Amino acid sequence: MVNERNKKRSYLSFVLPAFVIYMGIMVFPVGFSLALSFTKWKGYGPMEFVGFQNYVRMFSDPVFLIGLRNNILIVLVSVFGQIPLGLLLAYMLHRKMVRGARQFEFLIFLPITISSVIVAQLWNRVFSPVGILPAIVRQLTGNSEYIMTIFESEAYAFVPIMFVLLWQHTSLYMVIFLANLQRVPDSVIEAAQMEGASEGAIFLRIIAPILAPVAFINSILAISGSFKSFDLIYSMTGGGPAHYTEVMAVYMYNTTFVYQNYGYGSAISVVIILFIVAAIALTKAMTKKFNLD
Amino acid sequence: MSHRSELGKAPLAWRASAYVIMVVFAVLTVFPLVWLGYSSLKPNAEIVKHPLALPQAPSFGNYAEAWAKGGLEPALRNSLLYTAVATISTLFLALAAAFGLAKFPFKSAKFFRGAFTLGLMLTVHAVIIPLFLLEVRLGLINTRLGVILPYIAFDLPMSVLIAFSFVRGIPDAILESAEIDGAKYRRIFWGLIVPLSTPVIATMAILSFLRHWNEFLFVFIFTTKLALKSLPVAITQFAGRNNIDYGLQYASLVIGILPMILFYVLFHSQLRKGFGEGALKE
Repeated sequence: MVNERNKKRSYLSFVLPAFVIYMGIMVFPVGFSLALSFTKWKGYGPMEFVGFQNYVRMFSDPVFLIGLRNNILIVLVSVFGQIPLGLLLAYMLHRKMVRGARQFEFLIFLPITISSVIVAQLWNRVFSPVGILPAIVRQLTGNSEYIMTIFESEAYAFVPIMFVLLWQHTSLYMVIFLANLQRVPDSVIEAAQMEGASEGAIFLRIIAPILAPVAFINSILAISGSFKSFDLIYSMTGGGPAHYTEVMAVYMYNTTFVYQNYGYGSAISVVIILFIVAAIALTKAMTKKFNLD
Repeated sequence: MSHRSELGKAPLAWRASAYVIMVVFAVLTVFPLVWLGYSSLKPNAEIVKHPLALPQAPSFGNYAEAWAKGGLEPALRNSLLYTAVATISTLFLALAAAFGLAKFPFKSAKFFRGAFTLGLMLTVHAVIIPLFLLEVRLGLINTRLGVILPYIAFDLPMSVLIAFSFVRGIPDAILESAEIDGAKYRRIFWGLIVPLSTPVIATMAILSFLRHWNEFLFVFIFTTKLALKSLPVAITQFAGRNNIDYGLQYASLVIGILPMILFYVLFHSQLRKGFGEGALKE
């Protein structure tokens, strides 16, 4: 009996430190965030209960809606850009279609360790008036005055950010697909080749279906990651100019910590979480349907 | 593998497109970094005049100036401290929890594990505002502890689950014989679990290090003093649009990037394994 009590005490002494830190810092504050979202509060002074007003306001707030649109663009570039491109790159490397496949893989995966905020600054320099891209355009066109104006365009300001996201994350999916491709026996491809299947057919009809479950898990990660996007965009444009490149998380930050509107900021953060949970649930439901069909 | 050589080669059109795509990706990855590297050795005037040209008289002057003006030395020290303390604490807390959850026959283990799994869904945004208010209330704002504690907490769910799936695989027999010998559980943990877990510790440490080193939001919001900023935050603020000297900007960015390239070269195979097997990227 004494031994049993000792055992239980040891067990708790192993589990509880991690559990208490995790609960206290991650779980306990969540409820408070929800409560704050129903108030109007400047971070000090009296807190005013306003019901669902913050949530109602959001969907007629043009800045929030631009943010939402841009977040959806990030989802699209992740799911229909990074993931398929990552799959294609992985397949080409796996099939040794280029000489020095390992070296290419090594170079392409490199951005993985560089912090997003610094990636953002790097690409800002590439696009800047004294950067690589305008300099190349100037030499090619002979127009010595050329500078990039896409950032001032309401419709296209977000395009360079989507490009950098593609640059930064495609190789992550490439590496995930490669690891999973290595588990596919060569005999699968061999058998298809004996039957005279073309390379395109092998890729689309055999390899892609085998990797479909991996692609779905990647999509869940990509979607939830997309709604969280903050670092890269905050560092690259801060959501500007004129909110053209706003995303929900940057707007949440500015609303709360710059304009001291804690209630509205909390409501935006709750909506971000709801989008993530909904996207994950939707992806899971689709996976199920996909498997049943 | 000799087996692979039996596979038919891909058709020429595929191989040609593969070369094009690979070269484009590799150039887009490497060229901006190389350009940044050699441009950082040029004075501002030369950068403005000839953006693409190699430096006429390469000089490390920009580095000395950026290092001093940007407060990068204290920032580097902060980064090392935040990352080391958070990574090591997370490792041992997670490993201990995993040992408890995997090797003790108590029903509550299932509940604890479920709670940690739920944490994978919780994001920084869900708690950043209340956590900020909590830290203000507790006086943790503008302290190093106020940065390190959230680092540990947010890394725990993932680390506990990775460690759990590894520790569960350690044969019970090894632990039972130690138990019969009358070894205390604490000694079993330090003497058996920790050494047996070295492979997973290496992967966890590398991924954990990377997440902490590159973290932005907590340092950015929970500290206002330059003296407490981490390297990526200090560099971002220094290289931000307010600074008009391109040479200094470039040098500070290289200071941020070079250590991470070194890290990449040193731990490439572990990173490939860690990310490839589905570890999350934040």
